[in-house]
Amino acid sequence: MSNHQHPDPESMFSSYIKVASALFILTVLTWIAALDWVPRSWGEAGNSLHIGIGLFIALIKASMVFYIFMHLKFDNKFIRAFVFVPIFLFFVLTFALNVLGP
Amino acid sequence: MSGLSLSHEPVTGVPHGKLAMWIFLASEIMFFTGFFGAFIVLRNSNLELFSHSAGELSKGLALLNTFILIGSSLTMALSILNLEKGNTAKFRLFLGLTILCGFGFLIVKSIEYSTKFGHHIFPWTNVFFSFYFIMTGFHALHVIAGMIPMFFMFIKSFTKKGYNHPAKVETLGLYWHFVDLVWIFLFPVLYLIFPSH
Repeated sequence: MSNHQHPDPESMFSSYIKVASALFILTVLTWIAALDWVPRSWGEAGNSLHIGIGLFIALIKASMVFYIFMHLKFDNKFIRAFVFVPIFLFFVLTFALNVLGP
Repeated sequence: MSGLSLSHEPVTGVPHGKLAMWIFLASEIMFFTGFFGAFIVLRNSNLELFSHSAGELSKGLALLNTFILIGSSLTMALSILNLEKGNTAKFRLFLGLTILCGFGFLIVKSIEYSTKFGHHIFPWTNVFFSFYFIMTGFHALHVIAGMIPMFFMFIKSFTKKGYNHPAKVETLGLYWHFVDLVWIFLFPVLYLIFPSH
């Protein structure tokens, strides 16, 4: 009985390379998005846009690490359900705190 | 399949070590969530201070560290893959590279810290820097904690018996990827999301 339904090593290798390349590219994108390109007149909305883009890219990167590097894509449902709970709480808390902001 | 085999947790079918690591990582997510939550609350009530203080951080060094950590996640994944394939030499090479990346990360971090200290910026300077030092400090401790077992595995791989425990390396890999994951959020939150003016 095996819990490892990983695809064959060759396809895992190419997945890892693809994910790492995507992570590098998205890091550069995060950097570019954080440059001062939003007009000052946008004020707080521009600030929110910066944060939104930065965190959205971080979210995509995190999902790739979870799914491919940490094998959640190939793991059984139990682990996925298990990890979902704290991640869900993380988002509820950060979202709530932001909405309830100043 | 033997009915007495206890190599995995009987209800979930997941190996014990891996299940334990995921339980630990779940608690780690909540640990860092506490910091992020407190950071958001204090940021929202001290926007000016946070924006001004974040401008003092070195974005370039943080970018370099992000690349180093992503690279180390890749080498970690490749070392596990090679151990599973029975390719000991490549396993050792990639594990060694992962350890090197860990050292690289810590060196860059210490340069960053010492520059801050040189500019008379300390954890007690203001609330932003308290968070900066605590969050990055805890993250750096996690990097060190991951490097210790990695180092033992690396040394053991040179012995006659070699190191042939793919499940253990995979469990350690989960932890290492998580450390990368925390940095993925720390990087934009601390260094980038404050407009640079």
